[in-house]
Amino acid sequence: MSNRTILAATVAIATGAMSSSAPTLAQGPPPGGAPQPSTTQMVLKGKAPVSNEVLKVKLPRPQEADLANGLHLIVLEDRRLPQITFQIIIPGAGGYFDPADKIGLASYTAQLMREGTRTRTSPQISETLETMSASLNVATGLAGTSASISGGSLTENFDKLMDLTADVLLNPAFAPAEWDRLRTRTKAGLVQSRANPGFLAAERFNRAVFGAHPAGRVSPSAANLDAITPEALMEFHKTRYAPDHAAIAFAGDLSLAEARKLVEAKLSGWKKAGAPKGSVMEPLAVGAPRVFLVARPGSVQTTLSVGTQSMIRTDPDYTALTVVNRVLGGTMGRLFRHLREEKGYTYGVGSFFSATQYRGSWQASTSVRTEVTEPALTDLLAEIAELREKPIPAAEFADVKRAIVGSFALALESPQQVLGYYIDNWQYGLPADYWDTYPARVMEITPAQAQAAAQKYWAPGRLQIVAVGDATKITDILKKKGDLEVYDADGNPLK
Amino acid sequence: MTCGLKRLCAAGVVVALGVAAAPVRKIQLTDTKLKNGLRVIISEDHSAPVYSIVVQYNVGSRDERKGRTGFAHLFEHMMFKGSENVGQNEHPYLIFMNGGSMNGTTSKDRTMYYETLPANQLDLGLFLEADRMKSLGITKDNLENQRNAVQEERRSGVDNQPYGKTFEAIDELAYDNAAYEHSVIGSMADLSAASVEDVAAFFKMYYAPNNAVIGIVGDVNTKTTLAKIEQYFGAIPRQPAPPAVDMSEPAQKEERRLTLEDGLARLPRIDMAYKIPPSSGPDDDAIGVMATILSGGRSARFYESIVRQKQLSTGVSAFSGDSRGPGLFRVSGTPLPGKTLADLETAIDAEIERLKADPIADWEIEKARTSARRAFVNSIASSLNIAVRLSEDALFYDQPNRINTHEERIAKVTAADVQRVARQYLVKASRTVVLTVPKPAAPKGGL
Repeated sequence: MSNRTILAATVAIATGAMSSSAPTLAQGPPPGGAPQPSTTQMVLKGKAPVSNEVLKVKLPRPQEADLANGLHLIVLEDRRLPQITFQIIIPGAGGYFDPADKIGLASYTAQLMREGTRTRTSPQISETLETMSASLNVATGLAGTSASISGGSLTENFDKLMDLTADVLLNPAFAPAEWDRLRTRTKAGLVQSRANPGFLAAERFNRAVFGAHPAGRVSPSAANLDAITPEALMEFHKTRYAPDHAAIAFAGDLSLAEARKLVEAKLSGWKKAGAPKGSVMEPLAVGAPRVFLVARPGSVQTTLSVGTQSMIRTDPDYTALTVVNRVLGGTMGRLFRHLREEKGYTYGVGSFFSATQYRGSWQASTSVRTEVTEPALTDLLAEIAELREKPIPAAEFADVKRAIVGSFALALESPQQVLGYYIDNWQYGLPADYWDTYPARVMEITPAQAQAAAQKYWAPGRLQIVAVGDATKITDILKKKGDLEVYDADGNPLK
Repeated sequence: MTCGLKRLCAAGVVVALGVAAAPVRKIQLTDTKLKNGLRVIISEDHSAPVYSIVVQYNVGSRDERKGRTGFAHLFEHMMFKGSENVGQNEHPYLIFMNGGSMNGTTSKDRTMYYETLPANQLDLGLFLEADRMKSLGITKDNLENQRNAVQEERRSGVDNQPYGKTFEAIDELAYDNAAYEHSVIGSMADLSAASVEDVAAFFKMYYAPNNAVIGIVGDVNTKTTLAKIEQYFGAIPRQPAPPAVDMSEPAQKEERRLTLEDGLARLPRIDMAYKIPPSSGPDDDAIGVMATILSGGRSARFYESIVRQKQLSTGVSAFSGDSRGPGLFRVSGTPLPGKTLADLETAIDAEIERLKADPIADWEIEKARTSARRAFVNSIASSLNIAVRLSEDALFYDQPNRINTHEERIAKVTAADVQRVARQYLVKASRTVVLTVPKPAAPKGGL
């Protein structure tokens, strides 16, 4: 008799309980003979009292409106606490649109907006914000398609925070002295990040998977920074920070009517500009599988990333890949149970994927002591292969789907997190009831669909391998895994 | 502008939201002790169908004996490896597969375990915590297995990171008392030496109900929950109290200083640690306000003066955390390329002297007050945060209600208080300075 079965039984009931039923406690080992988990170091005795019901959760829906200047307003009213957070998302103002010789232009435009306006100096802005314990950040990623202005404060200070936000958004000064300061600090940061194995792995991985596409960028070069002038920053702001395709979202202690009045009062100067949304291109398909080694002298671990391109956010395979990825590299997933708990190769291991307007990336990654680089990499690849080659046992599959659906209840503690789901809806054009129907869609995924997703997205002909570590000890090991390219920690190829 | 919450004032561009500084709800709690000595703090919060359970054991790395550094944390890993009714790793598996989250964490002062779960899984959380408190499965295999994971954790967090060894060096040099001078993660040699007998003895001595505090916060009924706690934990026997830790620290007479070479770092860095009293002391609030004035955000003195105006550093931080024994007020910063550690040290010292001698602006005090208020509001959005606070405040200070008084305690701190603690504690004779310098470059690529 298997101790494992209780979870299968539990989930079978839970699937039904999505629509109704009161909680009941299952206790004691159930009958039956479900398959054992695929790795050792996990024994399910099935004696703990588990409620059979997956708590049915309906996320609160925000209210939405369109304003005259093109701005889309999203408000999740939540009066539990006297605070409000907000986010303005401006498509077309992200690092994706940086000119090739000025990588970082969008990021530093965003950062510098906070460093002074026509009437406020940088220290004045900091002092005003921090005296009322408010936050205000302007940011974009090097590969992001939009910029984001976000912040929050206690309700009593929110009016003042919006005054400051409007000033930062509409009247940034881009003072040359402030740009000099920011550039100097950023250059020091670039030097420091090269000491970090995670940074080195990310840089090489993104390059391997995306090539010259903006998604391949992880940091600007010093030359990029030198090419960016205050005029270029000002121009980027002037042409890109338009409300035409933007949204402003609030969560917390205010209503839609209050939010609308606030936006109309504070951002009345933000006029429709006829700005284009900015078109987005897909990266070139990922090339033949290769192996990359970044030599980091003094490393006592090898940092490994294995992965490839994924999909766009609206891809019909999104839910299936979510499920199979969770089986592989989610919390307590196969990689964790096998590489950490069974073999003791690592402290942490997992797999992750991103999906945006263009194809994102998928990767499994870990750091292992140098001595076990070879078996750890072999086992990592074998776990990926197993999901391509064999269907997921029913009990394990049901558990993982239950985990995904069950965790929705926890999001209800945070209005910011719930709002984030609906910002995704707006950004990617997902249907209005997307999150209401999401649990059912997860539950409908079959083992065959999950395996098909693994076969399609994790095909051996697409997987790139990146290792950061002590080249004197791991070069020969990596050569066995494919054509090897070696780089130093400054990004230069080594013979 | 004072208009009501719903009535929006259209005058000018002021749109009033809320009344000025509306009082925030206080956390209501019950504080109960079972017959076996287990202390239970419960706070109902029905705003989301979620609850959190935190179990704090009164044992940290400060309780470790010589030759067994890192043991409290290694033991924490053993707590996920099964007990009488729970299989190896079944605990985390059940939590995550039922939509929850969980983890454990060890500090110098305590070991803490926590779960957040949908509200209908109250029995699951209680059962899992009770079963391992009652009957942890201690085997050689489990120990070997987790020894590997922990040694890998040490490599990831310390040995393979720039400045990793700096963190250990500061405490080793600053403290004379063995309890605090070693790191929580411990040494590789000591981790290798730990035996199954050590694990069993440690469990018996420290993982007893009378040496633990449970905090439960969220969508629960206090009476029902207490009854369930009695049901699951009530029969676990009390153990003799563990020996008290000697936390006495001889007064430091002169500055201690060390230069450390780091083969993984690319920029130098300075770390200073000033001795301060335990955080239960009367000066703790003023010390907290002092940290805010020196390094709380970009309006703080370190940032504005040293980072922005003088352009000496990428960032300078000041920090003092909760500490049951003698604490450290930690300052650290990295000079920009072309600037020296000496330049940076001089600038930090100048700001500290200015804090002692020159007036503190009203807005700096105001900033510390509002930041205490916002931190409170932010923290009570999460049942886990509240449960951690209540149980830790019960364990450290015997004041589970402390969370409700933080804002008013900070509001009482005056500029004169801050200057007094700066003059008293930020003195060179009682500080430790560690300078980390990159080791001359290895052959390119290490080939």
